[in-house]
Amino acid sequence: MDFELNPEQGALLDAAETLLSRSAGTARAEQLVALYDAGEQSADGYDHDLERALNDAGFTGVALVDGMGPLEATLLTSAVARQAGCVSFGANAIVAAQLLGRTIDGPVALADTALPGPVRFAAQAVCLLVADGEQLRIIEAPATDLVDVDSNFGYPMATLPAELLAAGDIVEGVSAHRMRALWQLAASAEAVGCMQAALSFTIEYLKNRRQFGRSIASFQAVQHRLANCAVMVESARWLCAETAAHNAPAEAAAATATHTMEAATLLFDDTHQLSGAIGFTTEHALHHWTMRLQTLKLELGGAGAHALSLARLRWTDAEG
Amino acid sequence: MELSFTAEQENFRAELREFLVDWSELEGFLLQGTKWKQVSQLFKAMAGRGWLSMSWPRQYGGLERGPAWEYLLWDEMARARAARNPLSAGIVARTLIRHGSEEQKNHWLPAIRSSELHFALGYSEPEAGSDLASLRCKATPRKDGYVIEGQKCWQSYADDMDCLWLLARTGEQDDRARGLSLFIVDLDAPGVSVKPIPIMDGDSLNEIFLDGVHVTADRRVGPENGAWTIMGEALADERHIQFPPGRLQRDLAEAIDWFSSRGLADDPLVRHRVAELSLLVEEARVHALRVLALMEKGQPAGVEAAANKVAHTDACQAIARALVELGGPEALLHGSRPELLYLVSTWESIGGGSSEIMRGIVARQGLGLGAEK
Repeated sequence: MDFELNPEQGALLDAAETLLSRSAGTARAEQLVALYDAGEQSADGYDHDLERALNDAGFTGVALVDGMGPLEATLLTSAVARQAGCVSFGANAIVAAQLLGRTIDGPVALADTALPGPVRFAAQAVCLLVADGEQLRIIEAPATDLVDVDSNFGYPMATLPAELLAAGDIVEGVSAHRMRALWQLAASAEAVGCMQAALSFTIEYLKNRRQFGRSIASFQAVQHRLANCAVMVESARWLCAETAAHNAPAEAAAATATHTMEAATLLFDDTHQLSGAIGFTTEHALHHWTMRLQTLKLELGGAGAHALSLARLRWTDAEG
Repeated sequence: MELSFTAEQENFRAELREFLVDWSELEGFLLQGTKWKQVSQLFKAMAGRGWLSMSWPRQYGGLERGPAWEYLLWDEMARARAARNPLSAGIVARTLIRHGSEEQKNHWLPAIRSSELHFALGYSEPEAGSDLASLRCKATPRKDGYVIEGQKCWQSYADDMDCLWLLARTGEQDDRARGLSLFIVDLDAPGVSVKPIPIMDGDSLNEIFLDGVHVTADRRVGPENGAWTIMGEALADERHIQFPPGRLQRDLAEAIDWFSSRGLADDPLVRHRVAELSLLVEEARVHALRVLALMEKGQPAGVEAAANKVAHTDACQAIARALVELGGPEALLHGSRPELLYLVSTWESIGGGSSEIMRGIVARQGLGLGAEK
């Protein structure tokens, strides 16, 4: 048992963080939103440059490299999220890599025919992976005339028309349940990155913010809440790592997603509450991570659906 | 113990509901800033019935009604989502009535009563939020009045307002709360500028900069360096109308409608959550009535009001959270009911004294838990 990164993993993360500090970050996220809002041609809210850089450096395909696997892809997914990267890294490096044995050269969107509603990166995707009951379907180069919905929750999203969801080819030998488990892992890994960044950003702010002649972080009531957040985030992080290390078994993935999305609720509420009014402004970077948490929380039907899938799997185990 | 409203008061509630039918689409309670034009028309219609000056003394054009009447008024306004009580006819007018000179009363009150004049609140500063007594905006005495330098923040629709109800330092920084005075500043006065601060729901709040703004001496309300006490009195005067349970009852009704219209009415998780939410709403309702009962007797209600704010904001956040978590993916769409309630409710436990400050009041003043020396 070893909770430390091994030297290869450490080197991998260092290299990724160097790239991300150059090509991602909240200033970059701000810029993407500004270009998108200004209706700049070719600006679709998705960070194609960052994606290319991650692909070129070999990070997207890390799980397919000898000696590496879904754990490394999961660690990198969290790292991209910590730097507010607006790319479909987890869907590609974790989900596509494990289901297809290859990664996709471009944005990947994940959908489930049973779950209506906006899908992250649907309008940008060059590849759609669709869970349809028991079957998995792949739609490459989908129609490009989808229009993003109006949303404040941190990602470009679009609603997929039913005929598009029904298109594509069945991926033989892979069940949709397998995709859902990997998707739970990928969404959790991304949420963990957002939560880590939101929490450390808030802690730094509260250490420096002085009211009543002292730092806000010196109040015990505030410390307890931050400590609670830290406990939740750390457990989410390790659940993610363990689930990834075992290549996303269904029950572990459901448990990880249930816990992580519950932690995300706490993190949103507490980081905003403790930051006060400034936390609502776009000049304060907190929203880059917290608003995305809301979207991640609702994927795959949300925490309630994750919990139900966990309960279903536990029952099956007990009966089996 | 008398746990009901009088028949006359219930009749008034019925009258309010009838009046508000015409304003049922307004949504000013949740969107007072973006709907200001329509909200101000509503205030004019209310002014015509004397409702903006309901509790004021008759000599200033008021109806001299007790707290229960005002409670019913703003409770129904909240339930109808029509509007929140305006600063002008509330804190500003109450302070003028208690502490203004006769000239000030004659000058300001008629325009406030008729809804001609509206105020933005100028208390918070970038470095003085929860710790308001540390504020730095400075009013320096000059011949004929004062010159004001400083910065205020978090005004929600300053562009539509006429005046700033400004708290500024007239004493030394070390005097903290004892060195503050209240002023009325025209928002179009030379030296006043308003800058929007974009916020994460796509809307914006404002910063107000005061750069060498001159005000005459008759723009100071109450004694120099005496603002803290009179601010507290004005706040105490309207504790019963600040967090009306009608808003929560409406939130919950809308959540139930939302769940039903999406085929979730029979989902046991949803039903269980709705039952829990109903209890939170009932809890907040009895806290609000407790505050009202104390106000009716003229007794202090600071602790009870703090408890009410905590119960109220916890309930409205729990309802909004349930809508987002259980109400389906439309919550992610800008302008959807769950999104709007979620973002508005997140703010409620920060604005108007954060939950941390409120819990501190309950602990220190209510439970006597002073800090160890």
